This record gives sequence, C-alpha cells and structure tokens, in this order.
Amino acid sequence: MTGSATDQTVTKTAAELSDAEVKKAAHKLLSQVGGSIATYAEACVRCGQCAEACHFYHASGDPKHTPAYKLFPIAKAHKRSVSPLGWLGLAPDVSRNDLAHWEELIFDSCTMCGRCTIVCPMAIDISSIVAATRQAFAKVGLGPPDLRAAAENSRDRGSPLGLTEEALEDRIEWLADDNEIDIPLDKDHAEVLLTVSSIEMMKYPQSIVGMAKLMNATGVDWTFSSEGYESTNFGYLSGRGDIAKTMIERIVHAAEKVGAKTVVIPECGHAFGVMRWSAANIVGRPLPFQVLHITEFLAEMKRQGKLKFKSFDGSITYHDPCQVSRRGGATEEARYLLDGFATDFREMTPTGNRNWCCGGGGGVQAMERAAGLRHKVFQIKMDQVEKTGAETLISSCANCRLTMDESAEHFHWDHKRDSLIELLADHLIEQE
Amino acid sequence: MDLLSFARGPALQFAIGVFCFGVTWRLAILLFTPQARDLTPARKGALPSPIAGGREVFRRMWPEIHPTGSNMFTTINGYVFHLGLAVIVFGFAPHIQLIKSIFGTAWPSLPNFVIHIAGGVTIASLIAALVKRLTSPVLRLISTLDDYISWAVTIAPLITGYMLVGRLIQPYNTALAVHILSFVVLLIWLPFGKLMHAFIVFISRARTGAYLNHRGAQL
Amino acid sequence: MTKDRTLGEHMSRRGISRRAFGKYCAYLASTMALSPKMAPAMAQGLAAARRQAVIWLSFQECTGCTESFTRSYSPTLEDLIFDFISLDYHHTLQAASGEAAELAREQSMEENKGKYIVVVDGSVPTKDGGVYSMIAGHTNVDILASTIENAFAVVAVGTCAAFGGLPYAKPNPTGAVAISELVGNKPLINIPGCPPVPEAMTGTIAHILAFGSLPELDDKHRPLAFFGESIHDRCYRRSFYERGLFAKSFDDEGARKGWCLYEVGCKGPIAYNTCATTKWNGGTSFPIQSGHTCFACGSPNFWDQGGFYKSLPSRTSSIGTVAGATAAAGVALGAGAALIAANRKKQYSKET
Repeated sequence: MTGSATDQTVTKTAAELSDAEVKKAAHKLLSQVGGSIATYAEACVRCGQCAEACHFYHASGDPKHTPAYKLFPIAKAHKRSVSPLGWLGLAPDVSRNDLAHWEELIFDSCTMCGRCTIVCPMAIDISSIVAATRQAFAKVGLGPPDLRAAAENSRDRGSPLGLTEEALEDRIEWLADDNEIDIPLDKDHAEVLLTVSSIEMMKYPQSIVGMAKLMNATGVDWTFSSEGYESTNFGYLSGRGDIAKTMIERIVHAAEKVGAKTVVIPECGHAFGVMRWSAANIVGRPLPFQVLHITEFLAEMKRQGKLKFKSFDGSITYHDPCQVSRRGGATEEARYLLDGFATDFREMTPTGNRNWCCGGGGGVQAMERAAGLRHKVFQIKMDQVEKTGAETLISSCANCRLTMDESAEHFHWDHKRDSLIELLADHLIEQE
Repeated sequence: MDLLSFARGPALQFAIGVFCFGVTWRLAILLFTPQARDLTPARKGALPSPIAGGREVFRRMWPEIHPTGSNMFTTINGYVFHLGLAVIVFGFAPHIQLIKSIFGTAWPSLPNFVIHIAGGVTIASLIAALVKRLTSPVLRLISTLDDYISWAVTIAPLITGYMLVGRLIQPYNTALAVHILSFVVLLIWLPFGKLMHAFIVFISRARTGAYLNHRGAQL
Repeated sequence: MTKDRTLGEHMSRRGISRRAFGKYCAYLASTMALSPKMAPAMAQGLAAARRQAVIWLSFQECTGCTESFTRSYSPTLEDLIFDFISLDYHHTLQAASGEAAELAREQSMEENKGKYIVVVDGSVPTKDGGVYSMIAGHTNVDILASTIENAFAVVAVGTCAAFGGLPYAKPNPTGAVAISELVGNKPLINIPGCPPVPEAMTGTIAHILAFGSLPELDDKHRPLAFFGESIHDRCYRRSFYERGLFAKSFDDEGARKGWCLYEVGCKGPIAYNTCATTKWNGGTSFPIQSGHTCFACGSPNFWDQGGFYKSLPSRTSSIGTVAGATAAAGVALGAGAALIAANRKKQYSKET
C-alpha cells in the first residue's frame, strides 16, 4: 500500500524550524479559518468556565490546560489577517515561541472531547479549533513523534499498529478457525461493509469475534474488505490532512467496490466521528453509503427484532465515548442496547453527553509522553465508576478501552472492564 | 462649546459612527468568511439549521454549573452584572428617553431606587469579576489587555452615572457630560474588543447549535 | 435725593421701620446662604451704604431683563434698592435722551471713577467691526470698553449678557459674544436668566452695598447664593421623578396629577437657578408650578440644546445619517477584508 509522501515526514521541534517554516505554519493556520472558526476566534470572553470542564485541567490544576487557551494561536493568526493593524504589519504573527509553547497543549492535552463546549456561554467549539490547529502544526513537522508515526504507519502499512493486509487476512482466518465462526472477508458484494479498529484486531481480538457473531446473527449480508478496513484515522488525529484523506478513500473505495449501502464503524469513537461527520467533507463529495457506529447498527437490528439477548445480571456502568455520545449524537443507542439486557445498569455521574472523557481520545492514547497526564485524568473515571458501585465498566470504544486498561494497570485498579459488544455477543440468543 | 454640548453633540455622534462602523465591520468579516458546506448527511430528525441555531441562542441562557460547583461564582456573577446592566440601560427613565430619541420607541421606566440598587449591585459584581480575574490563575493566564480595557470602559459609565445621580460631581452639567463621555468611550471601544460578544454571541451560538444539531447531539 | 445720603436714611424717610429692615436683611442673608450671624452685619452695612452709581448698558437685548426688574410689586424693599441706587444711564428708564443722555453717562463715570458699577444686558456683536449694534455712532464693543475702564465691577444681567443668549444662538449672524469675553480682568458677576429672577439681582447689589465686595461666585461667575443648586434638586415635583411617574404630554393624566415633566422636555436638572425656591412675582409661582417645563434659560446655549420639548437625554445631533453611512462602510470593508483573507487562505492551502 502506498500513499503520497509529499508531506514532511520528519518530526521537528519548534526550535528547529526555519523562519519560512514558521510562516508556513501561520499560513496553514489561516487556511483552516472558515466562518465558524473565525467566529470562535473572536467570540471568547475569557471567562475561564471551560477550565473546570476539561479533564486535563481538572486533573492537573495547571492553568495552561484551560481549553480557551488553546484558541490563542489560531485567533492570533485570524486577527492578524482581518484587522487593519495586521494589514499595516502592526499585529504580531504566530511566532516560533508560540508554536513551541502550544505544541503540547494542542496535541498532548486535548482529546477533542468537546466537554468544554457544554459550559461555554459563547458555545465555542474548541474541539474544531484544536483539529484545525493540529493541521498547521503537523504541516511543519510538529507534534508527538509517535502520533506522527502512527499516522504514517497507517498510510504505509494500512494501520497504525502494523495491521497490514496480510496480517488482517491471517488474523481473520485464525479468529474464524479458533472460534468456529464465519468471518467474511473480501466478498464480491455485500450490503454492509464492516471496518475494524486495529486496536481491536491486535489487542482485543475477541471484540472482532463478537462483532462477527452479532453481525451474523442479524442475517445481513456483510463483509470485511482487505482494501479498506482500518477506520481509526490517525491522519486526522495527528493533523495530517493528506493521510486522513488517504485512509478515508480506502474505505470509500472498498465500500463502493462491494456495493455497500452501509459502512459500520466498530467500537472506536474517533473512527466514527471522522467517517460519519467529516469524511464526505474531506474527500469533497457526499458518500454513496450511510455510516453507522456499531451501536447504532445493532440498536437498529434490535429494534427490528433481529437480535435477542439473555439478560445479564451483573452490575455494570457505561462509559460514553465522547465521539459517539457527546459529539456523535448516538448517546441513546448504547442505552437502548442495554435496556432489558443489563438488569443492573447504573449510570455514572455525570453521564451521557456530560460524561468525562477517558483521557486518551484524539490520539492522546498514542502519545508516550502524555501518559503521565493521561493517568492522572483517569482518576476521574475511576472515581466515577467507584461511586456507581458497579462491578463492571463497559464502553463501546476500543481506544477508550485501551486507555482505561493502561491506566488501570498503572494504578493496579482491578475493576472489571469489558466492551459492550463482547458482552452482548456473550449473551446473544442464537436463533437457527 | 461647553463640555455637555460637546459630549451630547459631536462626541456622541462620532462615537455612534465608530460604533456602527466597527460593529458592522466585524460582523461582516464573520458572516462573509466562507464556511465550507457540510456534505455529510444530517442525523435523522435533525432540525433545519436556522431553527437549531436560533434555539441554541436561547438554550444557552440556561446556566450550566459543574457538579463541583467550581463555576458557580462566575456563572452567578455573570448573570448579576448582565441583568444589572440591562435593568439600568433599559429601565432608567433618562436612558429610555435617549433610546426613544434614537429609535422612536419607549416603555415605562422603573422607579429610581430600583436603578440605584441595580447600579450598586452591578458595580460590586464587576469589581468582584475583576478580583476574580486578578486572583484566579486560569483567568490571569488567559486574560489579555482587552479584558482589562473592556472591564474599565464597562464600569466607567456605571461609576460616572452613580456620581451623577448622587451629585458627587458638581455641577450637574459637568457630571452629565462626564457620564456621557464615559458612554462615548464605551461605544468607541465596544466593537474592537471582547465587548463585541454582545453581537457575536448570536452567531457563535447559532453556528455551534446548527453544527451539533446536524449530528443529532444535544448539549 | 441727594447723593451723599445713606440707605438707612432713605429707608426711614420712606417709612420703613428698623424692625422691618432687620427682617429684610435676615431674609436676604438667608436667601444668599449667609450665616444668620451675618444678618446684623449686613443690616449695618446696608444702612450705612452710600448711593451707588450704576451705569446700565443695553446691547443686543430685548428689554426683557429690565421688564422683569420693573415688574416687582411696589412698594417692596427690592424697589427701594433700585430707587436708592443712582441709575445714571439706562436707555429705557432714563428721562434724558440723545447728547444729554450720553453726557450723563460720561459725567457719572468721571465723578465715580473706580466706584461705579456697570450693568450690562444683551450680548455684544463683534462681526464686521461690530456694526450690527451701535449707539450714538459708537459700536457696543467700544462703548463697553470705555465704560468699564474705570468701573468697580461689571454685572452681566440676563443670559444674553452672561452667555451670549439668543443672539449667540446658531448661526450667530452678528458674531455676538458674552460680556465675559470682553471684560478682561475686571471683576464680573453673571446673573443669567431669560429674564433673571429680580431677587438675584437685588440680592447681589445689596451684597455689594453692604459688604463692598462681590458675593461668592461659581466658575461661571454666578452668585452661588442664587445659582448654586439646580431647579431639579429643588423642584417640588422631584418625588414623582424618583418614583418614575412622568407626564407624557401636557394634557394627559400625569400632567393633571402634577407628575414630573422630565419626559416632555424639562431641563430642570441642568438649570442652575433660583426659580424653584425664590419663585416669581412675589413668590407666586414658577414655570414648572404652572405646568410648564423649565428651559434652563439661565444656562449657556439653552437655545441650542436640541429642543425645548425634547427630553434632556435626547440626542442633540442627527444620528441616522452617520449611523447609516458608517454601517455601510463597515459592511463594505468587513466583507472586503473577509474575501481578501479567504482568497489568501486559498493560496495558503495550496502551499506545500
């Protein structure tokens, strides 16, 4: 698999940037400013209410983690471009120091979870701002090297975790054999194209098995495709627009090839967010299929009576993946799936659209240097879970799950954790 | 020309010119900056964007307090001085007269003691806001010169207004002129600093409202 | 009347008892906000005062000020003060005319050098060499200059003299100026009003007679005793203002109930004058009491304050055109800036 390698692939620190590169970053910042971002850049009244809404500030108490602060670079670039002071050359431009100072704030300490937008009296969407700002930083080689590597791996080897086409085929074969289950790959035609998150394939393979089991039970005509399988989009998360586009195009191509009407995104929040709410805009045309998160798809199947579950009596609580609930609009789908299945379901406080982020979204999970902060953030989640008294913590995002597992290990927190899909698959009433 | 005639005449006229220019200039920038059309299909049942946007403008008037209560002060204090300013600007008879002479409409005024209380509360609230800004590490970090200028030009008309009705500056003409001039400064500064949020709030909320509604997300 | 007679002698000749005179002085002292202890001193000073030579110059004026003073009810003590002073020159009141009148003025100036008071009503035209008002072949500017040269003090009576008044109002075709512009360092008292309250005039003269000095003045040279407080602060309708009860027109329910006239244009808050306390016509009434608004006729530029029947806070300059033009410019420039920026962004996004 090859992708365009026109973009800078060397990771740099701000100090290493040439003047021309600093300017290029400023230009890239500006090129990201549309009507909405321009509005946000001018709207902030600096009331500081977003600080406490942010899990990073909440955990660290460090003022620099205030979401509104992350608005500064793009606001600076925007104001310079539209103000008369800027035309006269009197407004300061984004500097090397700015890039150095904000790099960590834009990448390591924002999961783009959108929680700050809830409390913002001006309704500023910091998440969009951070996504746009990352593009400019990445353009000149800034950003955590491992995040960048994950993006480039995706481009060059099909997946951030080295899940190549061959590896995919091998693992699917192995999982199918081991679990005595049909896992269709590369069917000529299918109604539904199922995608994967390589996190699942490499670390939580039972999740793939669970998905296959549930998909088979619904009776729909579905397949995986070796031409477009990885839906976790590190191109998007790392600010590499070119790679984001490549990753999307692979799935679009695969879906078009099998004639899929529906592309189902697995348990991965950001994968869903990108494919459902950005992909068409990134490739520049409406997509010829609908994109559903696995919880949306299964909820629909349950509604149609195609899925039935034995009840689960253990006490569980559900962690909302930000990109599925708060920013995805599918908050109720997981709950609908749990309804009548989990007899002792306990909501966290706060929950749903106001739930706290796991701390690993937006690519932060992949940043080694952010681990310390991420663990601190996870204490919020542990606290939330413990307050419910539930035995098991489930989620429907492999990235959240990986974040939680790593942090749990760090704290030796031995609370039971599971995925919604695996739990459902385990309690599926298989009909002949 | 005496100070009062200057304040009420050319100064106010100039300020209104600057104000109208600045406000329309900034709004035009926001409204004319192209926004790429969203090519993704909206979630089923999403409202039309203008309705969702309009709804968000009002919906966000409802306070959102963190479970920790950490933003309780900022939220309540914010309501206090915004409402206080509204009471003073739209409830005090002389202000209504000015509005009437410009826009041609008027409404019954509030008794002066209500205005006096509102004025005192608003000044106290703004001072509290400043203290908070100066003492909170978060606010100190994110504050810019704009925040302090905007604070000063907002509290100035309140203080000069208080001095006017309390006859702390004599003669009345001078006090009135100083009060009007402080308002003139406010008008001139408003479009160029964060006080512009008085207008941008509608666009900002509407854009985010439409954006999230498109996704079916309810914040 | 012989010139060297004292005011005390004049009073007793006219049948005014010492007691009545004492009461008058107490009243005057309190009107002028002097300490009660000052009343005897004032009485003493007044009783011993010699006739004061006064030269009254009338320039661009309407004689309303003179009318006001002569409308006092007789016989009042105020009248007596006027009777007592030696009004050596006054167009309206003097019997002499022509050369004889001018001669009387020059004679008085010579005889009372450094002691006479010049009262002026009306403003002075300065445009085109001052030709718009001339008396006996001399411009007002020249007459004023020569008359005040050896005067003890100048008293500008009425708003025209004090602040330019009506002739000074836009577009001021005669280039009228207030007397204060032309007196240099000569002691000046302004007693504005259109016309001024008679008591303000007599009280001021009484003060000069009694103490031989000028009363305490504000920054506009007005005697603080009469011009220290606004009509609004002394208005008997003030409580309605505080409660927000306003007449909306001159014949509505509120007007009949005597509510505050602020909204129909009362300028009481900026009017520093004594009408609300001293009142007019022997304490009978004053404009607000008779149901009308105060014009602030004793204030500078009262004629050009946006309209007598427009409320005080109303705009005084046109705003629509300015607002429209600047808003149009703002939209054009903002849209231009946004589109230029958008174009530049397009180029930037192509950069690799």
